Parts: sequence; structure tokens; C-alpha cells
Amino acid sequence: MAIEKTDVVIVGMGAVGGILAAELGKAGMKVIGLERGPRLTTADFSGQDELRYFQRQDLRPNAKRQPVTWRPNANMPAKPLPILNYGNQAGGGTVHYGAVSWRFHEDDFRVRSHTIERYGVPAIPKDSSLADWPLTYADLETFYDRAEYELGVSGKAGNLQGRKIEGGNMFEAPRRREYPLPPLVADQSGVIFEEGARTLGYHPFSTPRAILSQSYGGRASCTYCGFCQAFGCHVGAKSSILVTKLPEADATGNFKLLTGTMCFRVNSDNSGRVTGVSYYGPDGSSNTIEAELVILAPFIYDNTRLLLLSKTRKFPNGLANSSGQVGKHLMAHITPRVFATFDDRFVNIYMGPSAQKHSLDDFNADNFDHSGLNFIRGAQISVSPADLEAGPIGAAMSINPPPGIPRWGAAYRDFLAKYFTRYAAVVAQTENLPYTDQTIDLDPNVRDQWGLPAPRLTYDWRRPNELARIEFMLVKLEELAKAMGATRVWRAPMGAGAPGAHHEGGTRMGDNPKTSVVNRYGQSWDIPNLFIIGSSTFPTMSGFNPTLTIQALAYMSADAIVNRYKKSPGRLV
Amino acid sequence: MTEHNPGRRTFLVRALIGTGAMAGAELAPAQNNETRKETNAPAQLHSETERHGAFFNLSDAATVAAFAERLMPGAPGKAGAHDAGVVNYIDLALSGAYADLQDFYRRGLAQLDAYCRKTYNDTFVRLDAARQDAVITALEQGQAAEFTWPTAQEFFNTIRTHTMEGMFADPIYGGNKDFAGWRLVGFPGAQPIFTRTDMESRQAFKRAPITGL
Repeated sequence: MAIEKTDVVIVGMGAVGGILAAELGKAGMKVIGLERGPRLTTADFSGQDELRYFQRQDLRPNAKRQPVTWRPNANMPAKPLPILNYGNQAGGGTVHYGAVSWRFHEDDFRVRSHTIERYGVPAIPKDSSLADWPLTYADLETFYDRAEYELGVSGKAGNLQGRKIEGGNMFEAPRRREYPLPPLVADQSGVIFEEGARTLGYHPFSTPRAILSQSYGGRASCTYCGFCQAFGCHVGAKSSILVTKLPEADATGNFKLLTGTMCFRVNSDNSGRVTGVSYYGPDGSSNTIEAELVILAPFIYDNTRLLLLSKTRKFPNGLANSSGQVGKHLMAHITPRVFATFDDRFVNIYMGPSAQKHSLDDFNADNFDHSGLNFIRGAQISVSPADLEAGPIGAAMSINPPPGIPRWGAAYRDFLAKYFTRYAAVVAQTENLPYTDQTIDLDPNVRDQWGLPAPRLTYDWRRPNELARIEFMLVKLEELAKAMGATRVWRAPMGAGAPGAHHEGGTRMGDNPKTSVVNRYGQSWDIPNLFIIGSSTFPTMSGFNPTLTIQALAYMSADAIVNRYKKSPGRLV
Repeated sequence: MTEHNPGRRTFLVRALIGTGAMAGAELAPAQNNETRKETNAPAQLHSETERHGAFFNLSDAATVAAFAERLMPGAPGKAGAHDAGVVNYIDLALSGAYADLQDFYRRGLAQLDAYCRKTYNDTFVRLDAARQDAVITALEQGQAAEFTWPTAQEFFNTIRTHTMEGMFADPIYGGNKDFAGWRLVGFPGAQPIFTRTDMESRQAFKRAPITGL
């Protein structure tokens, strides 16, 4: 059993951990990072291998060894999820993600107030725990800007300091300057999405992505190979934490990364402070790190799990949980889809970065009038291959054939043979509301490879507000696909209530210690030398992918720790 | 890199010869699959000199091959599961990455055999194509009472998934022989780059040959 001492220990080396390690290391703080997976390199990703990375999920947690269970409600038994959609290596999910990089809208940070102002209190479902964030878009803008420029994001501004610009996202919040890199080249699915959306009067644009459209910071630009979402980038053009912040952290000389390590407890003393963490090493050994500051930055399940596993006599309900809010308000994106096939042209959707290639924002957030509709909030809409990944295994597994064609046999073979190169999916990514009874806790029956209780999700998106929104969006998607010139358009079936991608919640941030777990900096209200940073702190989720906002929050927390907390450790708010 | 182990492939092809519907695919490749009528040729006993698969015995290989061929049937100019070497892929996967599914397959195949004997008084490989399709439909719809674990639908879904993997995974995994699956759907494979001109074309991609890992 090894004992080490350091200034800061960070659990999880993904989107948040890498940024904190680099920024705190630059400020002279000694940082140890714990990462349960390996540290891979760009050379490891030379293979463009759909079976390994998409189908067998090589860059994700192993669902058998690292199970996460799910049940739709507390009266049902929880079963292990077959696929876990997050990262399992240094760089975390940014290694395999589609790199879609949005800034949230201004009203995404004040959904409750905004909804009441425009539609009145009755518009909010009674059982929803809808809340405002304890910060505004303006507070975060400077950190969004840093993330875009330090990591490398390609896109076109649609709102430069209030000036609306055609061709960018005209619904975006005002930004101080252009993106650091121009938009990526649109593939044919993007071209026809753009044309179709324009004929309907919408405002399409190239999705902003943390993928280099030109060489930047010594890194090569995208080759449009298409093996993107689910894959590590074979040229390092994806601005993952692996090729951006981890090298910066290394260069500080103050950073040590321990891979193959599983943190199982945050240690605390009777004074109400945390003293460090305990972890299992790659050999199964139990080890301890003593640290002045503990930062939790794993995927969201493990924030809740670690806090609950770390309970003591002083913290009987888990660490940082005097509010009783730990594990609550779980959210996830749900993605209603339609498929479209084209008889007069090829689409070749396997070319180019694969996730959410071209987008429109006309039906996201409160960008459209919800009066008379029986739901609030919206969805980001985009054109994508079947499962955000464009190879033929993905097509065979994820495209339900149109009505009248079975899933196998000669007709199915002919369907795939003709339309694999002539299809597109049009996808909505919905902003689902928070609900108190959507939770993460410890599974009493299932344990993982380290013998720790599996995280258990209790979640079902099939609520009236969400179902109404999905039906509204499906109609919009069908109209779009037809406007794109599709010969045939049909819907994909919706799933059975399980959470989709981009999980949020569990350690909600707020401005009241009685109703939230952390403050705007991710600092525990109960324990000032414990920070929890990431999408687990989001009070609401937006229809946008979370990663750039996670990264902006990480920069904001790093700034507060370096410039304020380091000089005077204590509550930052 | 398209031919990784000719010896194995020879073995597995031998396992197929004379097996019901597969006989048509093997012996009359130019004939349209839908009109292959001579599908009830008796199965030939394999000699003891033929080699065992990495996981499957010859009988199980023949059954899985015949099943996969009905899921993705070959036809003139259209590669099917047999052309792509799907059973070779599944055999290797079950001896490696999917070793935890060995008993799933063993029991699933035994249940399939019991169902076919009870319903048609014969083995799956000896049924004609129409009856094989009826069996598969019964499994897909969960209507084969002989199945407990795996359930009929689980067994169907798994073989379907593995058939698609064998059709479309890179040939290094033992299927997609000579890029048969990628040729079928027009996928150019592991291209390291697409140019702006490629991206701007509304035609099929023809600039470079199909390439694998």
C-alpha cells in the first residue's frame, strides 16, 4: 500500500481533468491525475476499424466488467445496460466523441425564469425540478472563448457581439470574436440538408466541431476519412484532451498521471475536510494519496457513486450531501430520427466527420414560440449517418429498413446494396427536463470488477412533456427530409425509456446550499476543498452537446482555484 | 490483405458442401438465389481428415453457414454470407473476442436442431430455402417453443448481428472475403482521406480502390 502526498489529486482525466491538470500545473501546483483506463496515443488509432471501435466499443467502458444498471422506475428490477456511451481512457470521451462543440444559449442558463416570464408557471410540468443555473452566459463567455481557441474549434459565427451573420448559427448567444478555424467542408448530406432547410425558411449551418479544418497549434488538419465518432483520430485532428491539454500538463513538470487506477473512496476527517483519495492500482493494490485539494472529474455516474461510497459518521448520507441532492435530476439526450433515401443521387454519407454534420437551431431551446404547444424547450436538429458513425456495420445495426422490407433476406440485402450510399438520417437531440425521481444510486445486487457496487440509473424519458416534444420534432424531421429531395422517408423506432447520450445531473450546482450540491465553481457547499466539475453539475441540459460547456466550466473553475482559492482556501461564493 | 488463412477457409467451405440450401450457393453460383430449387441434396459426411474449426465442429459450422446465408443470401453479382466467409468470421470470433458466447451458441444450435426435427423431422441444413426461412421467421418472432436460453429472439438477433459483422468488418477478422461485403454496398473501406472533390461529388466514389487495414 503506497501513500503519496500532493497538492491536488484529480479523479478522471477526461474533458475536465485534462484542463484542470494543465492549468493548475502551470500555476505551480503539484497535481496527480487518476485514470482508470490507459493513456493511448495517436499512433494507436492508425486503424480505421469499425468492428473494433464502433461495434465492440473499444474506447468505452466494458459493460460486463464495469457495469451500469438501469431501471425505468423504482418498482422495476435494474438490469445492466448493454452499451456504455462514455470514455475509458486518458482524454475520456473526447477521444471517441464526434467533437461537436456548442456554446449554450443565454436562456439555457435560466430555463426556469425564462419559461415563467414567457409562458407562466403552469407551462412547467409539476413534477419537473427545472432550475436556473447560478451563473449566466455572460459569466462563461470568456471561458467558452478560451476553450475554443486553446483546443481548436472549427465553425462560423452567427452572432458576433450582437450582429447576426448569415451562414452561422443566428440563434447562438453573442460571441466576442469568430471561431479560431473556418467551418469544415460539408459533405453531400450537409449540402442537401442546407438546401432543404433553406427552402423551408430555416437557418442551417455547418456544425461547430473541435476538429481542425486547417492545421493549428502544430497539429494536422482533418482528412475527412469518416472514422470519427466512436474512433480515435488517426491524424490527431480531433481536438481531444489527449492531444491538447495532456501534453500541456506534462510540460508543466508538475503533473503525474497514474493510469489503470480506480478511485474507490474520497477520504475525509472529522474537521469536515477531505484529506485525499484511495484507489486500486493496476495490480489490485489499495493505495492512498493525501492531497490539499480533491477534484472529482469522472463521468457523471462515478461522481455520485464516489460520494455515496465515501460516507463517514460525519457524512452519513455520503460526502457533500447535506442537501440530499446527490444522485438526483439525472438527464440525458433522446434522439428521435427519420431515415431518408435518395434515388436520383449518391449521398456518400461515410465521408467527413460523422456526427451531426450540418445543423439547424430554429427548433432548439426557446428559439420558437411554444404557445399552444403542450411542451416546453426544444431540440437541436442535424443530418447524420445512422448512429453518428457511417460504416456499413453501423448501417446494418442501426437503420430499421422502411416499411415492407424485412431485416434479413434478399430484399434486405438489396436495400442495403442500393441505399448504403444513398441515405441520410435527420436527427433531433432533445432537451429533456430534470425530474427529481430520475436518479443515480448504488446497485444493491450488481458489482463491478473491483467489487464496487455498480451505479444504478432510475430513469424514463417517456413523460408527457418529452413525448409531445418528440412527436413535434419527428414531424419537422419528416418535412426536412422531404425538402432535401428524399424519395422515401420513414421513422426510426424510439427506445424503451433508457437514457441516451450525454448524461447530466447527480451533483447539481446552485446558489443555495440547501437545494444544490456545489456552487458555480463546482465547489462542494459542505466541503470547501472538494470540487466536482463536469456535466453532473448541470441544473438543465440544453439541446446541445455538453462538452464545450463542460470545458468552459473547467476553465472557469481552474481560474477561480488559481487566482482566488490558492491564495485563500475557503468558500469561493 | 484479403486472404488470411486459406487452410481454414478450405475447411469451412468443405463444411458447407452438400448442406441443404448452401449446396445451391456453392454449386450453382450463377443461378439466382430465389430460384435455387435443388436445395435438398443430402448432406455429405465429412472425412476424418478434414480439420476442425477454431470453435465450431463441422456440423455446427454448416448450420451457422446455412442460417447466415438465408439472412444475407448471395445472388449473381451480389455477395452473400457464404461469399463473404461469414461462418469463418463467427468461428474465429467465438474462439476469441466472443468466447463468452460459446455456450450461447452451443445451446442455441441444439435448440434450433430440436425445433427443426420436431417441426420438419429434419436438420436445419437439410431443409429447403423456404422452410429455412420459415424457421428463421419463427425464431425472429419468438414462436419456437423449444427455446428457453437463449430465447429464440436472442439467438436470432445474435446470429443476425454476427452475420452483419462478418459481412462488413475488415477482412482481418476473417469475414468480408475479398471485400465482398463492402463491394455489395459500395463502401470504399478504410480510406485514409477524402478530398474536397470526393466530398463535392454526387456520384459513387471511384477515385481509389477499396482498401482495408
